[in-house]
Amino acid sequence: MNEHGHEEWKQQLVKCIRCGTCRSVCPVFKEENNENTTARGKVQLLEGVLEGAVKLTPTLQERFNKCLLCKACVKGCPSGVRTDTLFLSARLTNANKNSLPLAKRLAFKGLTFRKLFDTGLRIGSVMQNVVMKKSDDGRGNQARFNIPGSGLDLRRIIPPLAAKPLRDIVPEKTTVTNPKGRAVFFPGCMLNYIYPEAGKAVVNILKRNNWDVTIPTDLSCCGTPAFTSGDQATGRELAAANLKALAGDYDVVITACASCGAALKNEYGEILQNESDHNAWQKLSKKVLDISEFVVKYGDPALFGALPMKVTYHDACHLVRGMDVSKQPRQVFATVPELDFRNMKDADVCCGAGGTFSMAYYNLSRRINDHKLDNAEATGASCLVTGCSACRMHITDGLSQRNSNMRVMHTAEIIDMAYQNGEKQKKGGKQV
Amino acid sequence: MNQAVLSKLKAIVGENHILTEFEDRYCYSFDSTFINSMPDLVIQPGSRDEIAAICRIAYANDIPVVTRGAATGLSGGAVPVKGGIVIETTRLNKVLEVNTSNFYAIVEPGTITQDYLAAVDKAGLFYPPDPASSKMSTIGGNIAECAGGPHGVKYGITRDYVLGLEVVLPDGSIVQTGNLIDGDMSGPDWTMLYCGSEGTLGVITKIMLKLTHKPQAKQTMMATFSAIEDAATTVSTMMASGVIPTTLEIMDNMTIRAVENFLNIGLPIEAGAILLIEVDGDPQAVEKHVQHVLKVCNDCNASSVKVAKTAQEADGLWKARRSVSPACGKLNPTKISEDATVPRSRIPEMVSAVQAIAKKYNLKMVIFGHAGDGNLHPNILSNKHDKEEMARVEKAVEELFQVALKLGGTLSGEHGIGYLKAPFLVWETGEEGFKFGKDVKQAVDPKSLMNPGKMFDYHDDKAV
Ligand SMILES: Cc1cc2nc3c(=O)[nH]c(=O)nc-3n(C[C@H](O)[C@H](O)[C@H](O)COP(=O)(O)OP(=O)(O)OC[C@H]3O[C@@H](n4cnc5c(N)ncnc54)[C@H](O)[C@@H]3O)c2cc1C
Ligand code: SF4
Ligand code: SF4
Repeated sequence: MNEHGHEEWKQQLVKCIRCGTCRSVCPVFKEENNENTTARGKVQLLEGVLEGAVKLTPTLQERFNKCLLCKACVKGCPSGVRTDTLFLSARLTNANKNSLPLAKRLAFKGLTFRKLFDTGLRIGSVMQNVVMKKSDDGRGNQARFNIPGSGLDLRRIIPPLAAKPLRDIVPEKTTVTNPKGRAVFFPGCMLNYIYPEAGKAVVNILKRNNWDVTIPTDLSCCGTPAFTSGDQATGRELAAANLKALAGDYDVVITACASCGAALKNEYGEILQNESDHNAWQKLSKKVLDISEFVVKYGDPALFGALPMKVTYHDACHLVRGMDVSKQPRQVFATVPELDFRNMKDADVCCGAGGTFSMAYYNLSRRINDHKLDNAEATGASCLVTGCSACRMHITDGLSQRNSNMRVMHTAEIIDMAYQNGEKQKKGGKQV
Repeated sequence: MNQAVLSKLKAIVGENHILTEFEDRYCYSFDSTFINSMPDLVIQPGSRDEIAAICRIAYANDIPVVTRGAATGLSGGAVPVKGGIVIETTRLNKVLEVNTSNFYAIVEPGTITQDYLAAVDKAGLFYPPDPASSKMSTIGGNIAECAGGPHGVKYGITRDYVLGLEVVLPDGSIVQTGNLIDGDMSGPDWTMLYCGSEGTLGVITKIMLKLTHKPQAKQTMMATFSAIEDAATTVSTMMASGVIPTTLEIMDNMTIRAVENFLNIGLPIEAGAILLIEVDGDPQAVEKHVQHVLKVCNDCNASSVKVAKTAQEADGLWKARRSVSPACGKLNPTKISEDATVPRSRIPEMVSAVQAIAKKYNLKMVIFGHAGDGNLHPNILSNKHDKEEMARVEKAVEELFQVALKLGGTLSGEHGIGYLKAPFLVWETGEEGFKFGKDVKQAVDPKSLMNPGKMFDYHDDKAV
């Protein structure tokens, strides 16, 4: 859906029967208790925009920004109002009218210059200590001072940029003899620059199952940060570049980031406009698999070794509602010997990260996150597993704030560990 | 709004709990109906005393006050049709006590119904009124609308469980009605005056509710009929026969098709109607009731009756009922949900009348509802942007009301009068009854500041 698709707005808006069911699912509403945060409130505001009663003011823009884009309202809506596409489109319309803050605009533009972006983050990894300091618990970094336009709360603990990005750790092409298939892996920014170990785990998983893996050098950011903020031009540019980079004779496109996966699989379809791009996307979309889906579909369960850990799992919004992935990781956990998996209450409720949401509304996103952590801790698990690096970052920050010693890991890392143990068992060695 | 008044109000609740921005007030201009009207101010008080203080100021300055729970009302009750202050109760959201020896609960009005039900359930007791909106509605809104639900057939509606209330009157004074023992009080039953008062007589700030035992066992059944008339007869026969199911819900053919289309669970799409029936009690009684239900259904030409064998199967049957709203939403975007209700014995006549009206005005009308209560919930599926069709809808609704009243029924089984049904209220009460209603309202709220424009305060001036 794009800005001028007001006909499309209308089609969605008319479906809203104002029943208020969305009140019962919205994590923001649960904290704020304010109708201006519900899907119903926002849907009616858009109706007002179409009728001319509501203007595209900065206040309106702010109301639409105060949304996690967690899709809980889409899932819960009895009338099937596509609030996700509506709200994205509203952000775009607002952004075009009121323009985005300068810092954001520059940052998104920077994403399109892949090389420059890459160089910037590499330099960043060296220079980060100038502005950031290590947090007391050693889990990450905290800002030394308020960085203008960064939206970084001083309390917030964010992971450092990795000393070496994923691309420096694993080769562009990993080949095996007699491959079962060819996979192209789209690591996305966070696995590349912040959690390369999890990215490496993905490559290991594919390799161990005897698949060829390619990580094309000319991949860009998936574009989610741009198009969810209303900068659709940048989003579209990035999408087109990625489609090109991923076009090749691959059987599957592997993602291990909820947002990248949902973008590649679904959201590109909504932002891409020209026909050839759209066609290319349709071909690609069918091949997109989250790494947990891959393991369920193509993985060899006999490779798993015992992994005696107590784990719980958080469903990232863009995995459970963006890619319909929630059974698969649990299926995998159930298959790994000795893995003690404990489902947490409200596992599929948003952790409060919501992309740029947690920067703009840090305190609110912390309160939402606290419920998640309470539920995770109540399971007695010592490790929280999730398939999304943004959730991982936000949850890790939350655990640090409350001095918890629960660990946070990526689904791929757990799978990789179980495989490693499997190999060691076979060789009669020690487990990790 | 006058600055002096505004700063006084801010001093009461604090800056953070007052919404003045246009965009925010806009979000408080509607409820679950299709009407809109802007409030001048939205206040989210945190205590009874704050509410009383707000009411005092509003009273002194002649400002209308509209109490709002979750705004899921279906008659426009929470829409500020005359502007003024919207008082949102949702910060008063605590279950203060669930007393398991004396079987009562004390709750604040802004508590979400579901949260309250969960607290009662956790304590091992049962509170039967279960509106389909319980995940969102507030208990205060339930009292103010006298909400009902599928359990109503056997257990009654909200009114039957209210022991007492604490109410802030229009001028800010605070009264308590009823008591925790038997709800009785010296003098007339003021509590009942406030059940279904729809915010027109004051703000309910504390609620005392009666609780009961959880049923030991229950059994769910689905009866299929080739003719809806037979289903209707089953309902009236069943209710007259003495065995009162906890649930007796009807779905007509169009509803069945919509739900099947939506869920694909193998519902009989050729059937004229199905009845969802549930009985509860101790295990032996349940068994006897099931036999009785089977007999009545068969006597009334049911083509089949399915008895759920497991809790899962029962859940599957309920799922069909719960999916009616979304399924119908997929057919047509605007759903006008009426709840004109008739005595149970008149259900067969009401069914034919609804069908005739749908035909006459060429409208898609579905019937699904608490048939056991005589509440057929005729829903008109339409599109609010289609002006011509909406005009026909309006005519059809009026005719529905007339028919229901003619059959000895009422305009509203549970959704209240509010704004949308106010123009027709006099049809039900008669001129004298309407005047009596107006006099009561006048006595309690002489300045007509509490939810003006609604119920007995309706003036023929369609503002929205
Ligand atoms: C999907 C759906 C299903 C529904 N199903 C049912 C059903 O099965 N049965 C049923 O009976 N209703 C049903 N309803 C209607 C509605 O949910 C009920 O009327 C409910 O009781 C309203 O509660 P609320 O908190 O939303 O009240 P609101 O809509 O906010 O207010 C309703 C009225 O009550 C007044 N009010 C609210 N709180 C107070 C208070 N503390 N003091 C004084 N006045 C107050 C308001 O002024 C207003 O007039 C349904 C609605 C929807 C949208
Ligand atoms: S749940 Fe859907 S239909 Fe109901 S108010 Fe929210 S957006 Fe509208
Ligand atoms: S996407 Fe999430 S945060 Fe945004 S309105 Fe829907 S439920 Fe609320």
